Amino acid sequence: MTRSSAEENTLGVIVGRGRRHQSDATARVIRDATPRRASLGTGFIGVGAAVVFAIAAVYRFVWFIGLWSVYPEATLAAAAWAVLILSVAATLLVAYVIGDQLPNWMFAIFLAGLAAAVALDLTAIWPLGDVGRNATAALSAGMALIIVVTLRRALDIIISAAVLAVALATAIIVNSSLAPEDLASQVTSFAFAILPPLLALAIVSSFRRLVQIELDRVLVQSTVSAPRFAVGMMASEELARLDLAAEELLESVAAGRIALPLAPKTASVAASLATELRLHLIEGRRETWLYHAITESDMLGKSATLIDKGSLAGLLDAGQRDGLLSAAWLLVSERGPSPSSRLVTLTIGPATGTVETPIGRQLTVPIVITTAGIARNRVDPAIWEAIRKVGQYSDSTLNSSLKVDIECLVDNPADQ
Amino acid sequence: MLPVRHPQFRDGVCNDYAAMDLIGKERDRLLQRIARLYGLSFTVVSLVCLLIPGAVDSATLGICLPLYAALAFMQIRLGSSRSIWWIIGAFAAALAIIVAVAVLPAGGPGQAGISAIEQLAAASIASLAIVLTTEPIRRTVLAIGFVATSVTATVLLAPVQPPFRTIGVLVLGWTLTTIIGFWISAGVPQAARRIASIGRAHRAERQASETEAQRRQGARLLHDTVLATLTLLAHSGVGVAPEALRQQAADDARLLRQLRLGATPTPEVSGEYKLETGDDTVLGRTLESVKQRFGRMGLEVSWHGTGQVLLPTEVLDAFLLALAECLENVRRHAGVTEAHVTITDDETTVRAMVTDAGVGFALDDIDSARLGLKESVVGRLREVGGRARLFSSPGSGTTVVLEVPR
Repeated sequence: MTRSSAEENTLGVIVGRGRRHQSDATARVIRDATPRRASLGTGFIGVGAAVVFAIAAVYRFVWFIGLWSVYPEATLAAAAWAVLILSVAATLLVAYVIGDQLPNWMFAIFLAGLAAAVALDLTAIWPLGDVGRNATAALSAGMALIIVVTLRRALDIIISAAVLAVALATAIIVNSSLAPEDLASQVTSFAFAILPPLLALAIVSSFRRLVQIELDRVLVQSTVSAPRFAVGMMASEELARLDLAAEELLESVAAGRIALPLAPKTASVAASLATELRLHLIEGRRETWLYHAITESDMLGKSATLIDKGSLAGLLDAGQRDGLLSAAWLLVSERGPSPSSRLVTLTIGPATGTVETPIGRQLTVPIVITTAGIARNRVDPAIWEAIRKVGQYSDSTLNSSLKVDIECLVDNPADQ
Repeated sequence: MLPVRHPQFRDGVCNDYAAMDLIGKERDRLLQRIARLYGLSFTVVSLVCLLIPGAVDSATLGICLPLYAALAFMQIRLGSSRSIWWIIGAFAAALAIIVAVAVLPAGGPGQAGISAIEQLAAASIASLAIVLTTEPIRRTVLAIGFVATSVTATVLLAPVQPPFRTIGVLVLGWTLTTIIGFWISAGVPQAARRIASIGRAHRAERQASETEAQRRQGARLLHDTVLATLTLLAHSGVGVAPEALRQQAADDARLLRQLRLGATPTPEVSGEYKLETGDDTVLGRTLESVKQRFGRMGLEVSWHGTGQVLLPTEVLDAFLLALAECLENVRRHAGVTEAHVTITDDETTVRAMVTDAGVGFALDDIDSARLGLKESVVGRLREVGGRARLFSSPGSGTTVVLEVPR
């Protein structure tokens, strides 16, 4: 006799069970595609940082030459420059040889070099009592941090810049004149040393974010060519895993390694395998490309909701899909101060009927895009071009937020 | 408006122009944000210098403070807007500050005032160069902006500071920001190309994944028997002869292995498994395997009517699966050990009538989803253009009629 419990139907599917966890395909692909953190364009940005540093360092070096006669102990200041140039050159060389990476030991040597340069330079100008006007290598040492911004974690850079800031500020306060006529040069020199690494950090993280978003968009774009119903990226792997587990279990039973009747524990393993296998076989193909696009995307997954009871999104042709996806993308990527408040809901269907067109009888599928917190006049104009690819549209405002009704004509699957 | 057909999408090739347009927008946003941060940072440094006692007299400071506010506002706005007017506005505000600081104080600005001008001219508005590198017209604005700022600052500071010093710091500041602008503008398309190639690889991976999943899911009959066996095991194999169950498990394991190695096996007559070759399969032989399976599980199935019907594979699969699900329902719920299946066919339709003399049920009482009918029977038949009808009442058994097109 059967032992099916009340919450299980005859297929063994547990009623009311939530959607299974979707693996984050995007993160996986990014991980596979970028074994080295600095790749995907940041290597090029790193070269740019080195160029910027070189130009700024030459400027400071000219200052140093100009101040030569002022120094009581010019050789110390020259030594500071030598240490700085050597550290930077060695760091760039190691990063180049290893390939867009900076191991901890080299980063430690680099920081030690910078610290030595700062110490030597400050010692050289100490008797002058004006760090702001006379420091050169010490200021360039701060700027030098920008060459490792693409190679190290943000925290490493922030801590290094903070330590340098404290050291410079202490030296200025202890040693230099803070009279009104001298204060400005202290402020500007301090800013010259500390601001560049922080700005560079902001630039690189913005750039990385752009790359991440673009990657997310490009990966999701591949759903545009998917069949009407599709399995997600992970489905075949999951199914293969389940098939293998079932095969192993059945083989063990056949070979007598598992005694009959089964122990309750093994029986429950068989039950959960059957349940998962059923879920994959029955539910797996019922999702459209749009569902997969939204669940696989970091961006869309967080802020877009799909209501498509009849799975009608699957009927859209590739051009319409591209338009709809671009429109959703443009709405979601209009980032405001609080991205979570910007929600986009795509409602597809139900189909309203067929119409005669020059290319045959077509089914009308209404698509409604409702938004929360996106004003009509703040929308990127490119969105209208994207929506035009989907079909005839009209836009209105609902609760002071944009709402677009699209009349989408698709081939009728019943005619095919 | 008529639907616009896009032949270039037919092969799944995305519109490269649109993609470049999107990445171009992202690039502009990135440059704008960088310019805003860079500019505001040095605006603050400049303001700090100006606030140092002795930089300028308080009247000049009073004029400059609103101008600083205007400059900061323009810089904030140009961080999120592509309009060139914010840039021009920022230039105007900064030049006004430079003129005010250099000219208004009696006897010229103090050392801190000079520093404020330098920070403003060589860094704060030099940041505008970051967003002025992308188009020829913007580069023209960049050149004009640089010349205007340099001339104004150098000439006005000439009485208090050697011109070469002013020129030097201005050239440095504007060179750095121009390089940053050009470098990022060049870096973004580079990254975009790499990302596009990753995207192509991903599309291929998705198609491969889809094909593989289709192959595995297409092996429905196989999974059907595997699931039946797993269900028996889930109930510890109670009520089935251990030898029969072991035999069934061995058969299923072999089929799964074949599937794993790339074939699409279909269970056929007892013990003998062959790879399927034709598109059409004889219904009768496969019906036998269903009968045998239920026989092992204690439900005697009697066949009536034709056994020699040819059906396309996918229709046959759906038909057999639905049939097996109906029999499974009989086995579980009817409380009898015998069921009758009558197969009839005409020109257009193949019909199976599954009948039992079991407990039956009131159709209104039972949630059809709980019977597994909706998903497994109705859904699968509908996919191949067929349908299912259910007749039952308490105490008088159940009849299910399954129909598929030939």
